[in-house]
Amino acid sequence: MKNTLIHLNSSPYSSLSCKEGLDLALVLATFEQAVDLCLSGAALSILGTNQSPEVEQGKNLHKLLEGLEFYDIENIFIQESHLNSNTEHTWQGTQALNETEWNQMFSNYQQVFRF
Amino acid sequence: MQYTLLITGSPYQSKACHTALRFMQAALKRYPDCIKGVFFYEDAVLIGNKLNQPPRDEIHLTKAWQNIAKKYDISLYLCIAAAVRRGIISEDESRRYELNQHSLAEQFQLEGLGTLVELMNTTNKIIQFR
Repeated sequence: MKNTLIHLNSSPYSSLSCKEGLDLALVLATFEQAVDLCLSGAALSILGTNQSPEVEQGKNLHKLLEGLEFYDIENIFIQESHLNSNTEHTWQGTQALNETEWNQMFSNYQQVFRF
Repeated sequence: MQYTLLITGSPYQSKACHTALRFMQAALKRYPDCIKGVFFYEDAVLIGNKLNQPPRDEIHLTKAWQNIAKKYDISLYLCIAAAVRRGIISEDESRRYELNQHSLAEQFQLEGLGTLVELMNTTNKIIQFR
């Protein structure tokens, strides 16, 4: 079994990339593969708790986050410098890494896929 | 060493499908058994549309992929969920969705992401083109 990192970097609302990256993570977990997530760039907006997109704006991917632990996806990394100070409206299930840890993280996996 | 290729970039918005094809050609020329399979995901599944007609003075990318797959007997998989949502429909799926048409090009097949997981676990490396 290989350990895999899914790196989400696209906005959940500007393309399907974020959704299809999460789909791959869920399928890997369903097949009992070790998988972690990391978020950067526009994908960080998935962490906002106060979003309610209309149908034409796309699926509310934020809702998937609470379910990740049931798939044994427990590590969702972000960069410390990108921590949102508005903790009231930010999902708190992430682990913040400093710059060195973030850069080192990518070497910890046999496979990294970017979406 | 055997590779799996994961291609996620659109054939129209990126050069992912072109670059992967060039990689395949170079790799297979040297090591004819080095590619176990190719999995197309996200907008890359558009490569499997048999109806696309590029201008005659441009590369017909779908045909180029069909030719290399045939020559080296390599499976070309399209993620079924990504393909069906984009109108790449096999004969089987057209019956399931009660449609009169199908659009999946020959040499390509629709498979679930489970097939990608299997490829990951049975090849040494997976290379993403995006």
